[in-house]
Amino acid sequence: MNPQEEKVKIITEEFIENDEDADVGRQKTSRVQRRKRKKQLPTAGPDEMVSEKSHLGDQQEPGHEDPNADARPLSMPTRRGPRSLPPIPSASRTGFAEFSMRERMREKLQAARSKAESALLQEIPTPRPRRLRSPSEKELETEFGTEPGGKIQTTQQEDDSQSYSRVKFRDSVRKIKSKTPVPPGFPSAEEAYNFFTFNFDPEPEESEEKPKAKNRDGANQEEGEGEEEEAPVPEGIDKTDEEVLLDDKDAVDFLLGLDRGAEDIVAVRPADYESVHIRLQKEKELLFIPSRRTVPTYKKLPENVQPRFLEDEGLYIGARLEVPRTNQNIMENRLLMQEPGRRWFGDDGRILALPNPIKPFPSRPLVLTQEQDIKAELETLYKKLQALRNAVQVSLNPAKTPKSLDTTRRAINEYKSEIRQTRKLRDIEQEKDRTLLKTIIKVWKEMKSLREFQRFTNTPLKLVLRKEKVDQKADEEAYEAEIQAEISELLEEHREEYEQRMDEYRSAHQQWKAWKKAQRTKKKKKKQGVEEHPDDEMEEPYPEEDPVKPVPPEPTNQAVIEQEVRERAAQSRRRPGEPMLVPELSLAGSVTPNDQCPRVEVLRREDVKRRSVYLKVLFNDKEVSRTNSRPLGADFRVHFGQIFNLQIVNWPESLTLQVYETVGHSGTTLLAEVFLPIPETTVVTGRAPLEEVEFSSNQHVTLDHEGVGSGVPFSFEADGSNQLTLMTSGKVSNSVSWAIGENGIPLIPPLSQQNIGFRSALKRADAISSIGTSGLTDMKKLAKWAAESKLDPNDPNNAPLMQLILVATSGESYVPDFFRLEQLQQEFNFVSDEELNRSKRFRLLRLRSQEVPEFRNYKQIPVYDREIMEKVFQDYEKRLRDRNVIETKDHIDTHRAIVAKYLQQVRESVINRFLIAKHHFLLADLIVEEEVPNISILGLRLFKLAEQKRPLRPRRKGRKKVTVQNLSDGDIKLLVNIIRAYDIPVRKPITSKFQQPPRSSRTFSEKQAASPTTHSPTHSADYPLSQVLVRPFVEVSFQRTICHTTTADGPNPSWNEELELPFRAPNGDYSTTSLQSVKDDVFINIFDEVLYDVLEDDRERASGIHTRIERHWLGCVKIPFSTIYFQAKIDGTFKIDTPPVLLGYSKERSVVAERGFDPVRSLSEGSYITLFITMEPQLVPGESVREKTSDMLKKFDSQEDEKLLQATEKFQAECALKFPNRQCLTTVIDISGKTVFITRYLKPLNPPQELLNAYPNNPQATAELVARYVSLIPFLPDTVSFAGICDLWSTSDQFLDLLAGDEEEHAVLLCNYFLSLGKKAWLMMGNAIPEGPTAYVLTREQSHYLIWNPCSGHFYGQFDTFCPLKSVGCLIGPDNIWFNIQRHDSPLRINFDITKPKLWKSFFSRSLPYPGLSSVQPEELIYQRTDKAAAAELQDRIEKILKEKIMDWRPRHLTRWNRYCTSTLRHFLPLLERSQGEDVEDDHRAELLKQLGDYRFSGFPLHMPYSELKPLIEAVYSTGVHNIDVPNVEFALAVYIHPYPKNVLSVWIYVASLIRNR
Amino acid sequence: MGPWSAVLLYTQHGEQCLAHTSVGLLLPCTFHHVLRRHLGPLLVLGPGAAWKLLSGVREGQTQVDTPQVGDMAYWSHPIDLHFATKGLQGWPRLHLQVWSQDSFGRCQLAGYGFCHVPSSPGTHQLDCPTWRPLGSWREQLARAFVGGGPQLLHGDAIYSGADRYRLHTAAGGTVHLELGLLLRHFDRYGVEC
Repeated sequence: MNPQEEKVKIITEEFIENDEDADVGRQKTSRVQRRKRKKQLPTAGPDEMVSEKSHLGDQQEPGHEDPNADARPLSMPTRRGPRSLPPIPSASRTGFAEFSMRERMREKLQAARSKAESALLQEIPTPRPRRLRSPSEKELETEFGTEPGGKIQTTQQEDDSQSYSRVKFRDSVRKIKSKTPVPPGFPSAEEAYNFFTFNFDPEPEESEEKPKAKNRDGANQEEGEGEEEEAPVPEGIDKTDEEVLLDDKDAVDFLLGLDRGAEDIVAVRPADYESVHIRLQKEKELLFIPSRRTVPTYKKLPENVQPRFLEDEGLYIGARLEVPRTNQNIMENRLLMQEPGRRWFGDDGRILALPNPIKPFPSRPLVLTQEQDIKAELETLYKKLQALRNAVQVSLNPAKTPKSLDTTRRAINEYKSEIRQTRKLRDIEQEKDRTLLKTIIKVWKEMKSLREFQRFTNTPLKLVLRKEKVDQKADEEAYEAEIQAEISELLEEHREEYEQRMDEYRSAHQQWKAWKKAQRTKKKKKKQGVEEHPDDEMEEPYPEEDPVKPVPPEPTNQAVIEQEVRERAAQSRRRPGEPMLVPELSLAGSVTPNDQCPRVEVLRREDVKRRSVYLKVLFNDKEVSRTNSRPLGADFRVHFGQIFNLQIVNWPESLTLQVYETVGHSGTTLLAEVFLPIPETTVVTGRAPLEEVEFSSNQHVTLDHEGVGSGVPFSFEADGSNQLTLMTSGKVSNSVSWAIGENGIPLIPPLSQQNIGFRSALKRADAISSIGTSGLTDMKKLAKWAAESKLDPNDPNNAPLMQLILVATSGESYVPDFFRLEQLQQEFNFVSDEELNRSKRFRLLRLRSQEVPEFRNYKQIPVYDREIMEKVFQDYEKRLRDRNVIETKDHIDTHRAIVAKYLQQVRESVINRFLIAKHHFLLADLIVEEEVPNISILGLRLFKLAEQKRPLRPRRKGRKKVTVQNLSDGDIKLLVNIIRAYDIPVRKPITSKFQQPPRSSRTFSEKQAASPTTHSPTHSADYPLSQVLVRPFVEVSFQRTICHTTTADGPNPSWNEELELPFRAPNGDYSTTSLQSVKDDVFINIFDEVLYDVLEDDRERASGIHTRIERHWLGCVKIPFSTIYFQAKIDGTFKIDTPPVLLGYSKERSVVAERGFDPVRSLSEGSYITLFITMEPQLVPGESVREKTSDMLKKFDSQEDEKLLQATEKFQAECALKFPNRQCLTTVIDISGKTVFITRYLKPLNPPQELLNAYPNNPQATAELVARYVSLIPFLPDTVSFAGICDLWSTSDQFLDLLAGDEEEHAVLLCNYFLSLGKKAWLMMGNAIPEGPTAYVLTREQSHYLIWNPCSGHFYGQFDTFCPLKSVGCLIGPDNIWFNIQRHDSPLRINFDITKPKLWKSFFSRSLPYPGLSSVQPEELIYQRTDKAAAAELQDRIEKILKEKIMDWRPRHLTRWNRYCTSTLRHFLPLLERSQGEDVEDDHRAELLKQLGDYRFSGFPLHMPYSELKPLIEAVYSTGVHNIDVPNVEFALAVYIHPYPKNVLSVWIYVASLIRNR
Repeated sequence: MGPWSAVLLYTQHGEQCLAHTSVGLLLPCTFHHVLRRHLGPLLVLGPGAAWKLLSGVREGQTQVDTPQVGDMAYWSHPIDLHFATKGLQGWPRLHLQVWSQDSFGRCQLAGYGFCHVPSSPGTHQLDCPTWRPLGSWREQLARAFVGGGPQLLHGDAIYSGADRYRLHTAAGGTVHLELGLLLRHFDRYGVEC
């Protein structure tokens, strides 16, 4: 193409000079040019200028074609298509085109004239005479590629010449229509007209093809040639008469059309009609009716090729589908005609076809299956044998096969060997067949004799032997022929063998002869050379032994062979003439009815009726389902007909059926186990055949009736001879297959997991035996084996193997073992996946949206990667890395580290399980709806108007609850109202007695005594009562923020102050879950403010005061934030946790008691504080999570009985109806997420022996010690560890292993210990302060009840007012649950006698008796002794760390440690542990004073269970010991850890500050 | 028309942040012939394998709106998605299913629709026409009285036209969407938006 174009250019360049010519062209054709351009719209060429000059366009013949080709589409839209040559539209070009067109028309006219008479339309466009450059012409034609199509088109048009004008008209209209919306600027009507007229221009080309009519037209055109160049407008006039007419009409129509617009586009025309005759005629040209006659084979095969029959060559060929012969013929004829390529025909000259997919599958009585199989096999073998023999015959025939002799010989040899093998196989099969028939008959005879002997029939089985008469003669002939064939084959074989042996013999003989000769010559030589070589003689004979003279092989004896063959035939084959026996089994026999049977038989039958059988299905040794129990039929058949769908999660390893037999109502016995193979992946539902698996049991059964029993010898014969021993045996017919999913995909486990070698081993066991398992992976070997074993490549059974080998051995051909979903994805990727994953920003975004804890509330992720620090991920990556690594750095104790890790994992798994539920919001979570005021509220409001504005005793009003969504830092405040305290320890004046006389100054107390007026006037009142003042104040610390009250006076101070502490959620995440997991505690510390006069000089006392304030820690109350969060408010009086020893302080309870001030309070020990804590604004506690998950919880699997679960639900509903506020617990969730009935947790469990030995004679002391042990296990609320998801109950051994748990676990363990101590103990569910809903333990002593707080180890009497338990919901014993249905629920006011049904509603009652539930607890608890050395080491480390911490907290001061004091304290701590912190104070003080007399000493021991280091540090920090900033202060710190069994550690920390008295 | 439009982040991307698409989405829907409450569209965004969801939820459901004035249902449902992509294939698109709930609380299909997320950044007003399969006259009759009616078996017929010629459908109103998109780094890979 390009070269031509270039040529055009070159030529035109030559003509650039001839401007005059161009001028003419320009004038003439400016219009034409325009419309030309319009016409050739899509291909407007660039070289206008060029073409303008090309006048003498003879060389430009290629250019000619363009307008020509272009013009055609006007009438023949089919020819529009991509043109390779860009048309060159230009004015002069057009002229030129017209000119050339005319020329061509002329040519064509001439051609047409010559052929007009013959009117053979097809011939019109025959090669046009070309004047120039025919080769390029040709090229062009091919390039256009439209010539033939065009011809057909034109001929067709001519055919329906009637409609021609119409078509043309239509086309032009269409053309115009498409042109009407031309861009503005063109006179559309004129242009259209031009267009229209121009349209006609190329038309003559076609019209002239109408031979007669176009004669004149052509002439006119010739004439008009010259004119046209001057005046293109009158072009249209130069038409034939008819066409002018048409033209006018067209033009008018067209103009009208322009005016009218779109209506003319839709033309109403009569329907086109073609007469049937014409249509048929046309169709005849197009249609082809293949004949039905048989096609001769030679036509179907390539020339000089003989048909080849694969079957004759012994290859497997599947049975063809039956197709009627005529159909086949039609098909063949059609194929021959239509596609002469002959690819449709196989070597045998038949149409290629797949084998018949229908497999003959017998459906008939079961007994005969085997025999039938053999028969079928036999038949195929016969066939094969026949085919092979034929093949040999064929190939042996020399006339037919002029192939290379070598190959034929080899082929023949192969055939022969195959024949031999096949014959052997056939013989074996035949023998089998015969023996089978014999046995069938024998068994039937036995049965018959037995039936006769018994005189009754049990089964309807009946065997009929059908004899098939055979034509004796034909049969004999066939038999004989068969034998003869065999004999001849054998003979031939033998002959070959003989010949071979003969050859061997001959060569051997020759050798022998040669040797003989040699011997002889040697002997001669020897005789000559004996004298010379005497020594040689000795050696000579040995090396060559005398070759034995070969014996010629015996020729084969035909008679002997014949004899053999006949013998064999007689043995294994049906004798000629013998009728063929076809056994047929039917169930048509009659069973003897019961009343005709003897008694024993009736008994037997009844026994059979009582028996039923069922199957258990075991998958991977676990029972997955079982069938219904079905009675055994009279014919010992059981039909189950059940399908079990197993959805499996684990890899299938075994599938077992267990056959169970049930006799009457007694127990079941396992008869046998049947192992089923796991189906192959190709076996899917619907395709799996029924298989029979036999089983038998070795059980011995002796029956008292006629039944045979099992394992018992018996005899069929009347005389008892011929004893038989039958075992219970049977068959299970089953089918195992993979299911098919909804969309037709088999639900097969992914192949990647399978051991491929193993699978293929199953498939091709024979291959393994020959090449070994390793060969299966080595494809070459496999291929070799396949070649050697002459695997039939056509056999569909071998298809997968052949495919595999083909792929494997072809080498380069790469078969991907994957399927790409989005092909070309990789090619279009901007970046690789790695790069995408490397982006820190994306990672951060994703982690945040996944709510990974570290990034849960990460705000404002930077826009650029570079702004994201690498260390953002450090924590997260570290956690991921350390998930399985247990680091001991944070946890000093390895065991705790393991536990912490485990807890973390449990937590993660639980959280993941609830992830969906967490994101499921209830309406209340999102929408706060204000209550619409109604009349009653309005009334109340009115009532309130009359209320006092400032009541004397204000009451707390309920506040609006706030959802947590829009909160941020600083929005939430913790409000702590400190109201008053009772019984604060007071300073002891007595200390001074023990003190050494002061040297330089007096102690403060003495000073105070001396000058009481300095501080408070009340002192004077107290002092006479020998009470020293205490000036307590309360300091609340929360999240390291500290607030304190003013200082009050006296042991019973009243502050009534509100403290406000800001609350910050971790990571600024104020979501419910985050708030629930806040672990911080609120410490409420009570201090004594002590003022020291530091005035050195008494003289200055008058002029100034110089005192120093010191604060002494008196005690603390610790309330976890989670409690506040869940309770919304905490209101009550709490016991202050005072240290067992508080140096310098004592409780002056004697004074109070003497006064008889408050007898109830005086009973109690310790100090109390009244508090009110709440949060501002009030948050909606996340309890809804639990409610939401309750649906989820139901889905948790439970191993409880369904009835029990229903009963629990009912019980709970009933209780909730009566007392909605009382806690009622029946089922709980264990640590694996299963629902468990609560009483299963209670069971006597042995406490550590060590504790029992401590006080062998004092049960109360033992009980207290046990309670203390339990309380030493650290407390970890479930809400913290499981973030408000649910309450998981762990069993006691899990609890002891975890060494962390909440109230329930503590209570369960304590209750279990008490039970084992022989106490009557119950788990008590109720509400307490500050814990809220909690679990306590109730024990019954001789006359009273004791309430134990399991977390603190304290116990209270039933009537103790300071008991933190405020209400009792239910009691749980090891075997029952009692719900409190009394009017009151305070332990003070209720009766604990659970035997009274009016007071306690029990779960198990007479209507629902206790079913004897087994416990989930272990049999007994095993306690390991804690490693003392490890404890000592831990003790040292804690001490060191705490000392460092205290130094850190005092950054501006020097911290000195008093070693002497420390060692004293260290000695003292074990004593405290031994006495559990009681009654040692005085001795201790005395001792301390003795040793550290010249120090002012303030300190106290702290006691805690050990969980981790952080709480210890917090506790020490909260006492504020480090806050003393007296310049010469010294500190002492001692740590003692007392190890209890099972790694329970009791930690004592003694902190003291010492100030040297000067 | 729309009470508000949420402009939220919705992103896609190439090497680094290739693109941020911010989608604010407002979904009022016009129904001219159904006087029922409208369950909001079930929204499914289906980008191809090259697209990685960084944050946001891929599918969701709006609330049920009861048109009180006229038959325009307003959902004002925000869509906030953030994608990163390594290629252009599988540009995200929105599949919508509009359901209507009658006074008995029965939900039935009102229309399927789908539209591509525009490829240029900025705020876009999209109209997504929806349709629903019509079924036989029996089914139509049943639908008029008892609800229900034919639904697509597989969602892919919504956007792939291969099998649609078999369907007889009825128009199901138009869902108006207002999407705000932020693209990022697309120019780096020669993608002009």
